[in-house]
Amino acid sequence: MSARVAVLVFPGTNSEDETLRGLHAVGLDAALVHWSQPDALPHFDAYVLPGGFAHEDRVRAGAAAAHEALMDPVIEAAQAGKFVLGICNGAQILAEAGLVPGTGPLRRPTAAFAPNASGRFASLHVHIKLAVAPDRVPILAGIEPDAVIPAWASHGDGRLAAPPDELARMARDGHVAFVYADRHGTPVPAANGSALGAAALVNRAGTVLAVMPHPERDAWTFQHLGATRRREAMLEPSGGIRLFACFARALNGRAA
Amino acid sequence: MSAVLDDAVALGRRVGVALSDDELRRIAERIGRVPTVTELFAFDAQWSEHCSYKSSREHLRKLPTEGPDVLLGVGEDAGIVRLGEWNGETYGVVVAHESHNHPSQVVPFEGAATGIGGIVRDVLCMGAEVIGVADPLRFGRLDNEHCRYVAQSVVDGIAAYGNAIGVPNVGGDVFVDESFDDNVLVNVVALGLVKANEIIHSRAPAGSAGWDIVLVGKATDRSGFGGASFSSLTLDEEDADQNKGAVQVPDPFLKNVIMRATYAVFAELRAQNVEAGFKDLGAGGLAGCSAELCAAGGMGAEVELERVPTAQRDLPPEVIAIGETQERLCWIVPPSFTPLLLEIYNDVFGLPRVARGACAAEIGKVTESGRYVARHRGETVMDVDLAFLTGGVRYRREYTLPHVRRESEAERERTLADADRARPGSLGERLRAVLAHRDVCSRAAIYTRYDGVVRGCTAIPPGYADAGVLVPIPGAPLAAATGIGGNPRYGKIDPRGAAELAVAEAIGHVAAVGARAVGLTDCLNFGDPTVPEHMGAFVAAVNGLADAARHFDVPFVSGNVSLYNRSSSGRHVAPSPIVGAIGVMADVAASATMAFKRAGSPIVLTAPLQTAFGGSVIAELLALETTTLPDLRAHAFAKQCALVIACLERGAIGAAHLVTDGGVLAALAKMAFASEDGLGFRIDPRPLAEPAGHELAWFSETPAFAVEVLDVAAFTELAAQHGVPGYDAGETLAEPVALLGEERVALDELRDAWEAPLRDFYGAVRA
Repeated sequence: MSARVAVLVFPGTNSEDETLRGLHAVGLDAALVHWSQPDALPHFDAYVLPGGFAHEDRVRAGAAAAHEALMDPVIEAAQAGKFVLGICNGAQILAEAGLVPGTGPLRRPTAAFAPNASGRFASLHVHIKLAVAPDRVPILAGIEPDAVIPAWASHGDGRLAAPPDELARMARDGHVAFVYADRHGTPVPAANGSALGAAALVNRAGTVLAVMPHPERDAWTFQHLGATRRREAMLEPSGGIRLFACFARALNGRAA
Repeated sequence: MSAVLDDAVALGRRVGVALSDDELRRIAERIGRVPTVTELFAFDAQWSEHCSYKSSREHLRKLPTEGPDVLLGVGEDAGIVRLGEWNGETYGVVVAHESHNHPSQVVPFEGAATGIGGIVRDVLCMGAEVIGVADPLRFGRLDNEHCRYVAQSVVDGIAAYGNAIGVPNVGGDVFVDESFDDNVLVNVVALGLVKANEIIHSRAPAGSAGWDIVLVGKATDRSGFGGASFSSLTLDEEDADQNKGAVQVPDPFLKNVIMRATYAVFAELRAQNVEAGFKDLGAGGLAGCSAELCAAGGMGAEVELERVPTAQRDLPPEVIAIGETQERLCWIVPPSFTPLLLEIYNDVFGLPRVARGACAAEIGKVTESGRYVARHRGETVMDVDLAFLTGGVRYRREYTLPHVRRESEAERERTLADADRARPGSLGERLRAVLAHRDVCSRAAIYTRYDGVVRGCTAIPPGYADAGVLVPIPGAPLAAATGIGGNPRYGKIDPRGAAELAVAEAIGHVAAVGARAVGLTDCLNFGDPTVPEHMGAFVAAVNGLADAARHFDVPFVSGNVSLYNRSSSGRHVAPSPIVGAIGVMADVAASATMAFKRAGSPIVLTAPLQTAFGGSVIAELLALETTTLPDLRAHAFAKQCALVIACLERGAIGAAHLVTDGGVLAALAKMAFASEDGLGFRIDPRPLAEPAGHELAWFSETPAFAVEVLDVAAFTELAAQHGVPGYDAGETLAEPVALLGEERVALDELRDAWEAPLRDFYGAVRA
């Protein structure tokens, strides 16, 4: 039986449709689950939290959503080892829920995606590079070492911030799954000032992944801006879709 | 009767409406009594310049508005042009254009944010999915602290609203001029996607008597009371605080949910094959919106104001009826559909839980009476003839057309030679200065604040090409592009010429990404229509728009007029006809960014360079005294556009960029800056100018394209087919340099000059 994926829609979410398209493109049985349907949530094999401004990002980005009841089944699923992927606002929610790095108590975050160093929202095309060994991220089955993935960093709060000892622990234990890099894979300082150059965090088990930039916004050939996009394949998935493809492989591997 | 008329005038003056004494008398005479306070405010809004186009309408008639690609022309909240066919269905792009100038001057963050909010509703209410916005902005001098604050807050407001609702910002432009010091211009274009057979009209459907009028959205409060008439007055410093109350308060979070709920309503209406009327609440509030809906359908309305959900108790009826509280829409639906409509908004999407007091509520009925009747606590507070209320008034304003002196070629040559001698400089030095000019320098500090890629349909976001490109139907190759034109430096010299060039610029921008313009939208920002010179500039500009649109055979499908852009100090804005073009392409594969794609490509210009420098950047830098704008040569320019589109389809060129502010060299530099691998360029020693060869022609703003040719044979063939001779201008280089004759300038040095002016738009970034 193929794995079923829920894409959560909170009040204020804005990237649900393109995230769903990305998941469908890699063959996943995915569906939007709206905030008015909490009863439907427990019955999925994996959860994806898309981008946006859930609950208007009141208090802190992702904080209000992390504390609402809708997240209870997601947290339970994560603790049971199900895969949970958060993108942008979804990543912020996972951090606020304490699921990444996942080394502290629930809903008492030990690290946060804080306001960018500029203090402002910025939308920039970026590349992110896998910064841990592939076996550290079972949620991305088959991802090649040093994989470089194009994406859009479109956020106001993407700067990883944590106390120095916590940052040291995260670095040591491989919680920084991706770092910002150029398109050749050479790490670059994060434009948002993120600590450790972090673009994504993963939990200890490698089953919960919080990615700040949006791979689904550079996931089809027509979205590529480089000189070499293939005209004959403009509507084909490529680029950022690889992250979704690895996620699908992980899920299908489990379902099998 | 004369006592009634006098009492009406006295009442009007006492409650502070902007209606003239004469207008007040006309109203009282027609309705045969002293109007109620609510009626006065309703007429005040409906008869304002903003709602009624009372000074502009007779001139706007000159604009061509029809064509084979128009699915819905001017007249409703937005126009619709044909995008193309997909899976046996015809799709349209909805286009709306609005200004939020006055609010943005007084309360810039909220003013700009609600500008986005309003235009998005205009598109939504056509039954469309909102797919993009674009902002033409005109700021005062940024070295002035207040102007800078206004500019920053406007950008912040646009970013905060557009990003939160999840609509990509895919275009726009920015000009800086002292004439905008007291009067910022914040125009906004919004785009939507709709199937041709699923358009919802802004009118009560035929035979809708007895149907429900349903108000959706934020609870009505005092915010935005008197907005329509405020936007039609001269801005006065002393009234600034008072006017702040006339600006609406944005709530993009609520709007995000309302949009999604409304898409769910669309789906139900279509599934059940139910007809409906739908319109957004903007100027004139609830009464204005419901009146226009019913008037457009030839019906009447009875509205119970105490059923309107309010945020405060005891709001007076005129505020409930006319206040412009944001994030509201109005439906007309058959009573059988009402329960489901209310359920979708109130329960499924839970508006009351999203924002205090927000909901959908049935507030009245459509009637056959042709009258607008509103009751409040048992009292009839409005009872007027709908056609009279919404018909507005017309004025034939006196005007004096501007006199523009065009110098002879010999005169221009002389001026050029003199300026060249008086302010000598190498090409490289001049290029650096041009790139650092306020109207040429990089806008990255502004457009990176906007999310240009949310929704995942963006092929080309802002900053990468002349126009933004969207692929709005997932899985379909059909693409839509939006480009903007308009230049205040031209407007000051020659409003008519500026308008013609604005049309050409907008059309050229979409051609540069491979799209054929199928519709135009304008926002006409001018001074005080009661001053003959200001009115004359407006009339001249409309004449220019009409002529150019006819030449290019592209109709206007929507637009907006913003007058009274004049402060009490007497300063008025540079005449600013701002034009948006909507382009379509059958296959996004033909689209291209403006970046040079590879080294060793010939660089070709599609027209010889003119030496008419009026309003150009180089003219300002060299203090050239000239009032001759570049000549549009519309027939030739149309052929150039067709050539560029054909070349992109064939892959004969890798990039195209319209020559605009700063001229050819600035255009080439930007194409190089955009290249992925840091490509450079060299130019041929002498530009192909007419009359021959003055070096300053490299800074000419002649309407033409700079193109990077990838396939010389194909380009030559297509150029011959289109009757456009190509003019060799240079070549792309692997090395990041600009070779300007003997002079060699590092591209990094040029890039730095280009990026520096707005790098610290917000002040130094904190460490």
